[in-house]
Amino acid sequence: MLIGTFYFIAKGWGVTDKEAREYYAITILVPGIASAAYLSMFFGVGLTEVEVVGRGTLDIYYARYADWLFTTPLLLLDLCLLAKVDRITTGTLIGVDALMIVTGLIGALSETMLARYTWWLFSTIAFVFVLYYLLTSLRSAAKRRSEEVQSTFNTLTALVAVLWTAYPVLWIIGTEGAGVVGLGVETLAFMVLDVTAKVGFGFVLLRSRAILSDTGAPEPSAGEASAAD
Amino acid sequence: MTDDSHDTAAVLNTTSVVGIGVCFVLAAAALFALPTLQRLGLGFNTAFWLISAVELATALGIIYFIFNLHEEPE
Repeated sequence: MLIGTFYFIAKGWGVTDKEAREYYAITILVPGIASAAYLSMFFGVGLTEVEVVGRGTLDIYYARYADWLFTTPLLLLDLCLLAKVDRITTGTLIGVDALMIVTGLIGALSETMLARYTWWLFSTIAFVFVLYYLLTSLRSAAKRRSEEVQSTFNTLTALVAVLWTAYPVLWIIGTEGAGVVGLGVETLAFMVLDVTAKVGFGFVLLRSRAILSDTGAPEPSAGEASAAD
Repeated sequence: MTDDSHDTAAVLNTTSVVGIGVCFVLAAAALFALPTLQRLGLGFNTAFWLISAVELATALGIIYFIFNLHEEPE
């Protein structure tokens, strides 16, 4: 995650295009905060225990949820900027996304399995709404833009749809849900999902010319930009 | 955002750049703040929801500053 952050910083160093700067700023911050969240979990700061009726004590990595509260709105902002939707649509999408994470959080901290599953269901319904917005409002807005933008948008939306769907599935079968999967596998799976959904997302986005202003100017590489400076 | 060809020469808004930096530092610090908040007397739930609120607020702050990252041309 940290390597991804530094890679994006190096790649974006010296970029002068107005819109590209915005995408770089957002995309650097996402793995940056995720790195801090993983560091806090590594040092045991981002971990707590919850006593669940019938299940005993569960380890809850709360830093993961705090990370998602910060990073998922920014990932969605990237998609909103690509599709060039209005601020009301952007606000609605980010509001539903925040609801999705907060209800997931309440579920993670609930002390009965019934409450945990109920909040998981609420969170998953909110996620379905996020997907719905992405595949309807944002996709139709993206269709009005260049082929390059449409192609990048479709790739990123597919990435988000597939990877984000895996999170509630992993939660429900993991230690915080039914307990079918052990903590080690769950942690590893969340890590792979996080890296792909954040660094992979950024990599696809920042490689594309779709992030440039509609001026037809080529994106300067870090080397070219440095030379220009 | 506009399709104006002058976009490439747009000037960065210093307040927004600083705002993004401050929000990022606050969000990163909040991830490590729970033990400190508990030592200050807050219960786990209060401290945890405070941290969550900081994460969300800083994300919203960054979104605001991203929308205002460049100086509007006079």
